[in-house]
Amino acid sequence: MTTRRIIVEPRGLASLRLTLGIPAASVLLALIVGAIFLALTGNSPWEVYRQMAKTAFGSARGLSETLISATPLILTGVAAAVAFKMLVWNIGAEGQFIMGAVFAAGAGIALGSGTPALIAIPVVILAGGVGGAFWASVSAVPKVYLGVNEIITTLMLNFIALNFMYYLIFGSSSPWRDPEVSQFPSGRPIPDSGRIPEIFGSQRLDYGFFIAVAFAILAWFLISKTRWGFEVRVVGDSSDTARYAGIAVPRKFLGVFLMSGAFAGLAGSLYVAGPVGALDPRSLDLGLGFTGIIVAALARLNPVAVVPVGILMGALNNAGPSLQSIQVPAATVQMLQGAILIFAVAGEFFIANRLRRPEKKPQVAVAAQGGEA
Amino acid sequence: MADSTLAVEFRNIDKAFYGVKANDNVDFQLRKGEVHALLGENGAGKSTLCSILAGLYRPDAGEFLFEGQPTVFKTPKDALAAGVGMVYQHFRLVSNLTVAENLALGHPKLGVNISQAELEEDARQLGEEYGLPVDPAARIWQLSVGEQQRVEILKLLYRQAKILILDEPTAVLTPQEAQQLFKTMRQLAAEGRSVIFVSHKLHEVKQVSDRVTVLRDGTTVGGADTADAEPRDLARMMVGRDLELPTRDANPDIGEATLIVDDLRVAGDRGLEAVQGVSFEVHSGEVLGISGVSGNGQRELAYGIVGLRTPTSGTVTLDGEDVTAMNVADKIDRGVAYVPQSRLGMGLAPGLTTEDNLGLKAYRKPPYSNGPMLAASVFKEKGAEWIDRYDIRGVRPGLPIRLLSGGNLQKALLAREVELNPKVLIARSPTRGLDVGATEAVRNLVLAERAKGTAVLLISEDLDELLALSDRVLVLYEGKVAGRMPADEATPERLGLLMAGHKEEAGT
Repeated sequence: MTTRRIIVEPRGLASLRLTLGIPAASVLLALIVGAIFLALTGNSPWEVYRQMAKTAFGSARGLSETLISATPLILTGVAAAVAFKMLVWNIGAEGQFIMGAVFAAGAGIALGSGTPALIAIPVVILAGGVGGAFWASVSAVPKVYLGVNEIITTLMLNFIALNFMYYLIFGSSSPWRDPEVSQFPSGRPIPDSGRIPEIFGSQRLDYGFFIAVAFAILAWFLISKTRWGFEVRVVGDSSDTARYAGIAVPRKFLGVFLMSGAFAGLAGSLYVAGPVGALDPRSLDLGLGFTGIIVAALARLNPVAVVPVGILMGALNNAGPSLQSIQVPAATVQMLQGAILIFAVAGEFFIANRLRRPEKKPQVAVAAQGGEA
Repeated sequence: MADSTLAVEFRNIDKAFYGVKANDNVDFQLRKGEVHALLGENGAGKSTLCSILAGLYRPDAGEFLFEGQPTVFKTPKDALAAGVGMVYQHFRLVSNLTVAENLALGHPKLGVNISQAELEEDARQLGEEYGLPVDPAARIWQLSVGEQQRVEILKLLYRQAKILILDEPTAVLTPQEAQQLFKTMRQLAAEGRSVIFVSHKLHEVKQVSDRVTVLRDGTTVGGADTADAEPRDLARMMVGRDLELPTRDANPDIGEATLIVDDLRVAGDRGLEAVQGVSFEVHSGEVLGISGVSGNGQRELAYGIVGLRTPTSGTVTLDGEDVTAMNVADKIDRGVAYVPQSRLGMGLAPGLTTEDNLGLKAYRKPPYSNGPMLAASVFKEKGAEWIDRYDIRGVRPGLPIRLLSGGNLQKALLAREVELNPKVLIARSPTRGLDVGATEAVRNLVLAERAKGTAVLLISEDLDELLALSDRVLVLYEGKVAGRMPADEATPERLGLLMAGHKEEAGT
């Protein structure tokens, strides 16, 4: 038997319909798998999904909370997307997010309530970017000049940043800690002049969401439209080719790494200067940097596609706690996020390859279908 | 139906990659005790056919008979067990192990307890018997390319292979080494083994083979007893038309020395010095050919000149200016064009579009960029213009350049370098792996640069090409200049001896 049943061959370039359709199908399949799981555990999938949709999108308040949850995910997603696209394996968005929050809260507190908002708000936001870039540089500089593996250093620095934040609030009487609360330590509030204003008086949503979207577009613009971005794309495609074309590869690598850290740090500053209002570990230690990696993967590392994916993930995060009111564990949402990621990664294969039957002499034509779970 | 003189028969074999048919209805018969040449251009499907026989690929359709029986080799291990082995163009040896250890590696009949001395003795005897001398205790990385090839063949003989497939074995050999290999091949055939000899060199096919099968565009286009075949007919069968490759004209318009390399020393990858005091001049309007067996410092010499590796000592002078320590970007600015050996590994960014790749050298300056901004429209316009002018085919908007064929990749690469209006063009093996049409286009581009007054440095292992294009030839051996001569005085034999490290009696 020398005839093959199914031939797998790479597509040159997937059509737009496939590029959008396959991730959508991945999400759908994840929801189906989730439904089976819910049914097996004695819940009504329909009821659970209805509750989630209602919480996330069903009201002005729900929508506002969804976009608030999405804001940091968009920026940590952009951070991961720009880095991974250029083969910089920065998985330290979590720590860079925290350091961004530390710097932003520090700047806001240092400026005090006397600084005009027009100056204070931009300074607070940018301080977060600086904090994230600084934390990234701790991994980036050894990587570029000594070849130290950035996967390990960025991962480890996440824990250092996290514990540093806990130390600032719980372990010391640092300026970040609120001196007026003695019962349970918490962060000192950033003065209102340094806080990003809310859009509607009635909802918590602030301008931070739009700033995040603007940064996502800026990231896309830098990479697609500038000379620097062209060089970065060449480096990301083949570093030997880049060197051959006279591009200073280490400098580009460093630039992308710091930019990635800055975006994660901006996520931190928008979060503390927006809904949180202080360096509050309980509100910041949510793994938002890690979720950003999932967002970037689902968005196929496109900084603009990160926006809708970030909103989807924000909606899931927002809807999770509401499930407890119908006696379903909130962790269901994490399971769904995991399922979506697995299907999205598997979907990549079908975006890159096509399956077909041999053109002639198909002696036994048995189509091998992917499992419907 | 079974013909007992046949070792292998292929009937209507199909095999496609990426939707492109590499083998389309191929028929092929291999007799016992013959040297059978597979002749065809690059991309004609020779390697695919061999890889099917060696168990590396499975055919999409068709019949494969092994000693009269329908057979499927699922893996190379199956093929080896049946007595079919292949020597690939890229050797599959463990470079930190010795020759004897490589022979033993994965051998099915060897147990746990292996005697090193016995192994080495076996290897030595086998090598002597078949004219493949090699030190069994040497480690692979210490051997020359030609010796490594002998180890690959010994590996197959050690496993008593009945069918040996040699994929373009002479490409890495000096002419003298090739003659020795041909003797071994005849000896193997005389013992009743079958040898498949893959080549696109007619004179080699004519010399060593009993029969020949010609492939073109993935299909069998003919076969004959070699003795009855006229080289001219085989050539026509191979390319589908009469062929006449361009060569340089006799009277070059040679000007000033544009590129002067003086006592250049460049480090190799392992820290050893790969270029050990090389000096030469390339004049405006001439082609200086550099020959040598691969790995004798050619790569490092090119890197040293274009700025990819800073020379440890010596100077590179371009138009009177010392450019030795300059970086790549500054050298590009001063008119140094470079066509590296690896098209997709270095010369082009495989995942970017053709337009982006065509702008890869000029993007720093207007009109490609204004300050920090990229002018996408210029990439498009210039790209379209050059794709048309240089006849780059298969370009589709938005698709990565790696999907183009080898010939079109090379045309794109050369187009970009030539459009820099370079003072010096350094090209390494520019026609390697190309079909005749593309080879012709590339040779014409190189010769057009020479006519324009560019100083051309052509570094190649293909002696036919070097002699056809170069005005002068220089031989590199172990990082030093082993000889230099006008192309008119060079013959493949003379160059071959120099490439192998033999000294010439008369001065150069």
